[in-house]
Amino acid sequence: MELDLDESSLAIGRIERALSRIEKALADRASRPATAVAAPAADQAALKAEVAAVIGELDLLIAEATRG
Amino acid sequence: MADVKLTIAGRPYDVHCADGEEAQLIRLAAVVDEKARAMPGVTEVRQLLFAALMLADETQEARTKVEKAEPQSDSLRAAVALAESREAAARDELKAAVSREQAALKELEMARRNAQAAASSSNPAHDRALLQIADRIETLASKVEQLP
Repeated sequence: MELDLDESSLAIGRIERALSRIEKALADRASRPATAVAAPAADQAALKAEVAAVIGELDLLIAEATRG
Repeated sequence: MADVKLTIAGRPYDVHCADGEEAQLIRLAAVVDEKARAMPGVTEVRQLLFAALMLADETQEARTKVEKAEPQSDSLRAAVALAESREAAARDELKAAVSREQAALKELEMARRNAQAAASSSNPAHDRALLQIADRIETLASKVEQLP
């Protein structure tokens, strides 16, 4: 799939909106009364691993984009 | 004050109690009467004695159960507190990761603008990678929203 500049800006917009959704979900969870039910440790570990992987990809992309 | 007529072990009693407590008094009398009637063929005094002993035994047993249950509820409270603190730590960690991701995104946007200025056309491979990252972060957002 080929993207022109406008579409890449759209992709960045999607990323920004998704990050806002994550922030809102975390803020909602923090404001909810605490429950004894936490997400399973395996799910949390998988989520953290995916966050780390996406950050790694972004870092790589930034380095490549900076180099041109 | 209210007047209540009770019958325990076959003998009627007139008893006074505070207004509104009549029904509770009748229920208590029924419990005593049931215990007394469980000992047929003995004198009324003995029936009442056995009823009192059985009720005292039940009271003591209930008290022992409560005392035994108390340490368990302490452990349960400690487990809940531990789960809560772990959840809070995980949430903080995730928040920090989101902040790092946002910072990285800003940096990417700046690098993209710089690259855009340097070259007239964008790198299709970078755009594809960006699109894939957008997909993955959207999936992550859905997962975070569905966390219990």
